[in-house]
Amino acid sequence: MNEKASALDKTIEAVLTLGLAGSAALLTLGLFLGRSGLLQAGVLMLMLTPLARVVVVTVVLFDEGDRFFGTVSLGILLVLIGSVVVAVRL
Amino acid sequence: MEPSTSILIVSGAATGLVGSLLGLGGGVFLVPLLTLALGVPIRTAVAASLISVIATASASATVNLGRGLVNMRLGLSLEVATSLGGLAGGIAASLLTHRQLFVTFGTTLGVMGVIMAARSNKRNVIVDPDAEPGRLGGRFTEGGRAYVYRMKRLPVGLAASLVAGAVSGLLGVGGGIIKVPALSAFCGIPIRVAAATSTFMIGVTAAASAFIYFSRGDVLLPLTAAVALGALPGSLLGAQLSDHVRARSLKILMAIVLMLVGTRMGLEGL
Repeated sequence: MNEKASALDKTIEAVLTLGLAGSAALLTLGLFLGRSGLLQAGVLMLMLTPLARVVVVTVVLFDEGDRFFGTVSLGILLVLIGSVVVAVRL
Repeated sequence: MEPSTSILIVSGAATGLVGSLLGLGGGVFLVPLLTLALGVPIRTAVAASLISVIATASASATVNLGRGLVNMRLGLSLEVATSLGGLAGGIAASLLTHRQLFVTFGTTLGVMGVIMAARSNKRNVIVDPDAEPGRLGGRFTEGGRAYVYRMKRLPVGLAASLVAGAVSGLLGVGGGIIKVPALSAFCGIPIRVAAATSTFMIGVTAAASAFIYFSRGDVLLPLTAAVALGALPGSLLGAQLSDHVRARSLKILMAIVLMLVGTRMGLEGL
């Protein structure tokens, strides 16, 4: 379980780092140039980072044949999608 | 008057550092700082905090994952409850007045501080390294020694996570402030594992309500951007330093801070 978990750990780390680096770049540029479009993109990218992490975890768990925790992760993904749907309808 | 960008970046960095040092998102300090010290309206502060909590928690998670402290199975199981709570809290947030938000904030912190202080002497690890951790338990090494722990009272952990999610959605705090003490005090999870696993979940919890704040127009872009940008380096540093702090000192420090900040926030709403 430990080696599998560490492969998953590395994938998660990569997704989080990518999301954080991307949004940090957008936010820095946005503040520096005073462009609210860039700030908005940076904030959105930050908000989507956890969502991307859940997608990746779900896919990897199913891929590894861990159906129980894959389904648990899918449940989390559905809640997040639900919150986006609620947000869009407000 | 709106606080300057540099003050906001420093605020984000300081609360991110303390937050990830204690295994929290940092919102528990950021919201009081923004509202009490910088005069930001509480709803704007909560929205900014939720976004910066995502940054803090994700940054600390990248550090904690490498250390083997995050219990992924436990995290996933509890995340279902926290994200549902986060969604509900985000929806419910608009129903509370500013004063009610302050009082809820203060009371929540005070209660958790008392629980934490009362149980700071408890140890959750099993010293026998061959003991079976069970499906949701785990092992970790600290100072060259291997420790084993078991998850106890899963329903309590799930209920605490649901409440943590709802509180996060209402108050912008991520919920570590509830999960960490509850997992450590009632569920047999060592505080370091509880903190790392909670931080792992917090990004998702905060995101579940952040979308709602965003679409309501509560996210003030320059303010939120500055705070979140500061939170990133602050929390990376905090996560590195957290290795060097003792578990008992962590619990006591956290208890004191909770009671103080809780009292101050509660008074603001009265």
